Amino acid sequence: MRLKHLLTIALILIATGLKAQNIIGEVEYRYKIFYDKIYSSLPHLTEQERDRILLTWGNPDGYSTRMKLQFWPEKSRYTFGEPYEVRSYSWQIEDYFIENNLVDQTYLKYMDQMGKTYLVRDNLNAPKWRVMNEIRDILGHMCMKAVSEDPIKGQKITAWFASDIPVPVGPEELFGLPGLILAYDINDGMLIVEAEKIAFGEPKESITLPKKMKGREVTGSEYQELVKKFIQNSIDSKQAWMWEIRY
Amino acid sequence: MKFLLSLLLLLAITFASQAQSKLTIRGTVKDTTNIPLDYTSVLLLSPKDSALVAYTLTNKAGEYIFKNVDRQPLLIKATYMGYIPFQKELILPETDDLEVEEIQLTPILQELYEVVVKAAKAPLMMRGDTLEYDASKFKVPPGATLEDLLRKLPGMQIDADGNIVAQGQQVQKVTVDGRRFFGGNTKMATQNLNAESISKLQLFDDKSEQSKLTGVEDGVKEKTLNVELKEEAKKGGFGKISAAGGTDGRWSSNASYNKFDKVNQFSIIGYGNNVNQTGLSWDDLQEFRGSGAFQFGDTGDFGFNGSGGMTIISFSGGDSEDSFEIPFNNLSSGFSNNQAIGVNYNHLKDKKDFSGNYFYSRSDQTVESFNSRTNFLQDNSTFTSTDQSLQNNMAGHHRANVRFQNELDSANTVTINAKGRLSSLNTSLGSLQELIRSASEQSSMERDNQSNRWSGSFQGTAIFRHKFEKSGRNFAASLSNTYSNADQDGIQKSVVDLVNSTDPNTYFRNLDQVNQALNSANTIKSSLLFVEPIKKIFFWETFYNFSQSASETDRRVFDVEASDTRQLNPDLSRFFDNTITYNRVGSSIRYANKGSNLSVGLAASNYNLNGRFSVEKDSEILGTVNKNYLNLTPNLSYWKTMKGNKRLNAGYSMGVAPPNISDLQPYKDISNPLYIREGNPDLQPEVTHSLNAGYNMYDPATFINLYFSLNSTFYQSQVVQNQTIDPETFVTTFKSGNVAGGQRYNSYLGFGFPIVKTKMNAFLTANPSYSRSIALINSAETETNTLSQNVGANLDLTPTEWLSLYAGSSFRLSKTKYVQNPSQNQDILNLSAYTNINIKLPKAFYFDMRFNYNRFENESFGFSQEVPILNAFVYKLLGEAKKWEVRLSAYDIFKQNETISQFAGQNFVSTGRIETLSRYFLLGVTYNMRGVEVKNDR
Repeated sequence: MRLKHLLTIALILIATGLKAQNIIGEVEYRYKIFYDKIYSSLPHLTEQERDRILLTWGNPDGYSTRMKLQFWPEKSRYTFGEPYEVRSYSWQIEDYFIENNLVDQTYLKYMDQMGKTYLVRDNLNAPKWRVMNEIRDILGHMCMKAVSEDPIKGQKITAWFASDIPVPVGPEELFGLPGLILAYDINDGMLIVEAEKIAFGEPKESITLPKKMKGREVTGSEYQELVKKFIQNSIDSKQAWMWEIRY
Repeated sequence: MKFLLSLLLLLAITFASQAQSKLTIRGTVKDTTNIPLDYTSVLLLSPKDSALVAYTLTNKAGEYIFKNVDRQPLLIKATYMGYIPFQKELILPETDDLEVEEIQLTPILQELYEVVVKAAKAPLMMRGDTLEYDASKFKVPPGATLEDLLRKLPGMQIDADGNIVAQGQQVQKVTVDGRRFFGGNTKMATQNLNAESISKLQLFDDKSEQSKLTGVEDGVKEKTLNVELKEEAKKGGFGKISAAGGTDGRWSSNASYNKFDKVNQFSIIGYGNNVNQTGLSWDDLQEFRGSGAFQFGDTGDFGFNGSGGMTIISFSGGDSEDSFEIPFNNLSSGFSNNQAIGVNYNHLKDKKDFSGNYFYSRSDQTVESFNSRTNFLQDNSTFTSTDQSLQNNMAGHHRANVRFQNELDSANTVTINAKGRLSSLNTSLGSLQELIRSASEQSSMERDNQSNRWSGSFQGTAIFRHKFEKSGRNFAASLSNTYSNADQDGIQKSVVDLVNSTDPNTYFRNLDQVNQALNSANTIKSSLLFVEPIKKIFFWETFYNFSQSASETDRRVFDVEASDTRQLNPDLSRFFDNTITYNRVGSSIRYANKGSNLSVGLAASNYNLNGRFSVEKDSEILGTVNKNYLNLTPNLSYWKTMKGNKRLNAGYSMGVAPPNISDLQPYKDISNPLYIREGNPDLQPEVTHSLNAGYNMYDPATFINLYFSLNSTFYQSQVVQNQTIDPETFVTTFKSGNVAGGQRYNSYLGFGFPIVKTKMNAFLTANPSYSRSIALINSAETETNTLSQNVGANLDLTPTEWLSLYAGSSFRLSKTKYVQNPSQNQDILNLSAYTNINIKLPKAFYFDMRFNYNRFENESFGFSQEVPILNAFVYKLLGEAKKWEVRLSAYDIFKQNETISQFAGQNFVSTGRIETLSRYFLLGVTYNMRGVEVKNDR
């Protein structure tokens, strides 16, 4: 889809302030990953190994992380939310920030991936979305279904966007639909991201990017190339890549 | 030709002009009552794949406009909250302006939206006129029929006659997966289909059968309900069976079967062999236990470690008598005949986990061994004893485990664990012991011992965990009871050969005895833990541990006099009961933030030891022990996780372990006349200070990894055995005592890196260790220092799909220095190397070769032994699904197998050899329901 349409929407929203209560806000998402399903789908495994993994490590509830998205007509910011449970042991909290600038049509990603810290800057380039004939209700918003694919990670993406929240952003690296993406799913349930709470209006505490962003600066296509290589290496050495790259 | 050319030209122009002209598309969106809908999303899609082309919003007058749209087939779609999304294909005009016919959005039936989309959270799918939704989102009781499900759905009614009425109209037919169900009889379908097996329901107006048949639209529509059935819930079953026979009557067989669905996991496994395999493989064990294979935090011991001996976690794969665990990865020595069978069942539903298993294993083992032990005396002289023995062990173990975990609600969890074991062990031992004092002074003894023993034990643990509303505030309590009982009967006979011996009776004695032992122990443990978070980054942890262990030993020895009369031997018979009570209370503060974790704590522990000794139960008390020890133990630990998969840890702990009651007993125990034990009532607990540090990193992009760890222990007070060896009789008297100054250091360094990424990897290790032990020998402190160097290198080569090669070597030199007696210094050397090759040959043939080489050396004794073991396997997978395998195995091709052990103690050096199963060949067949797995590992 043409970028100018994204820009047009942004400009319409900024200019008119149309139903302004719906175009600024904060969403909390539950990022629920099912490692057993992902692991048992690795290509090098035999059928018996798949069964063994599902048998011993099967976890119907998955592993949840709370994520937070803040949106305005001109930008969106996304990072970790408050943990679900206060734990008496602290693991390294990795950096994971995504900022989309809808006016300049650029993005910035500051994230720890593949054992390193990356600072990725490039122009927004929406995936090819296909809008389907299915609706679903998420937190009182009627959402339409849209599907897309990530050929590098081999993922089938099913997203649900709320057309009554006309900001073309979403959680993780998804954006470019005629409404806020409130939920999405990868490969029929290997990852489920779903909004749990939406609050409209200027967020109380705005997500701020770290003042010092140390990391390897790459462009979007360079980063994609690194990811592609990393996944290929992992497949060659019969390892799972999802521990090191955001799924 | 001219015509064709001009046609092509015309087409080219048309395309060019179309590509250049941009469309402006405008229109309005209203609802069915003609009110304009503002703020409606209007989308342009490509009709062939629904790809999004452009989108916009309507203004207050319900108007929308798209400018500069490429000329291409387009689908327009409008969506507004609460309305059925509208879509239609656009007919592109000749001009660049398209005024789209007014779009009217129909509201979604309110009940449908409220009940289906909102309450049941079922996605609603539009397929032309058909609305379809996911029926599995509606909760119905188990065993409910389709009729029960329909009653719950909006717009659906079941009338008194059982007819379905949908949106006011009677449903004429019901189809299942698009096919007519019992001639479309609706009642037949609704009353017989199980609601739980239904995934989707579609309601639509179908053409009448008449019009379908004739193809003529008669305008008659039949309300049709289509039911889509669920794909069978994930159900799996796999199993394998294999049998092999070979040379020297060697055989091996095993079989397993697993069946599982989302809720139930059932498995059965069995094996039998005479090739020394006395356990399951790790994979088999994992499949056998299923979801119960990995359970953490089930011990119920809370608080920091360093309590010293109170929390022993043993992880042994062997089939030992004390273990409740199923044996795995275990290869026994000697020659054995082994069988086992087990069943496991897991049930996982609604936060309730149940798993239970029963496992029976038996083994009939023959061990022929030769041991030699050289003892050093004070005057620098030595004496050597050798023991050549043939032992037969027949052991059988029944083991049962049951675990139940119930998450009562999000705040409370109960875990109950019960384990039981029943064992029988029959042993017969024949041995020839020789004592070599010098070339001219030798004596020997023949022993013939028999014993029958059975034992049983039971362990029950219950753990309760509660999470308070304040996140991070937790409480946990545990209670456990372990009971064990053993009953043993034995016969001991020995005959001494007096040749060449000066005073044989003191070292070797003629014996003819019968002994009986009855032991029992009961331990009750309980722990409490409370964690209070302070500002989300500090945690105050308080714990209490209690344990009380009561045990009783009743050993009676009878001398068999002439004509089979038995006489109780009061020197060797002993009745002994004791109680150990342990209390510990402690507290720690933990800082946990951004990957850094620092914990500082202090605990007070108290041991109370009570014991009584007599010859027989109710006979005169020989001695009593009543000891109380109170200690304060600090604890410090630090963990840090850093970016780039780096981890750092360091810690300090103090351990206190009470002496064994038998070391405190205030009298001489001469039950073994060669090793007399003398108690020491003044003995103090063993007190240790341990320091550890570690670092590891892994770079997933380069595959470089590094591990480092250092552990050290300092003995403030160590319980050692003061040994006094009588130079004439060689009788050793042990008396426990406390010494200070012992030290141990153990470090590990590992470095792995790829030489050719994904094709060739290397891993280097070094594991130096040093220990300084202080012993009391003839009441004098003697110091022994052992420095061990262990270095190893491993190489993995996986250049192609069909070849993998693993090779490695390790070298270990252990130098033991006797400070007071340097002439005894020992250098023990172990060298080992291995190569494993896996080759995939054409036509599903595979070849594996495993070569292991070990070399044992001790220069001061001129001891040198090489053990090269070569195993090779050729196998072929048969059938399309590769479910069959035929395998030819050759074990120990060089016929060299022996089990060798070497050890340098404080005043002795020992070596041992066990004759063990050597060269044999097996030819076997395997059938695996899931296809035979090809293992490419080291």
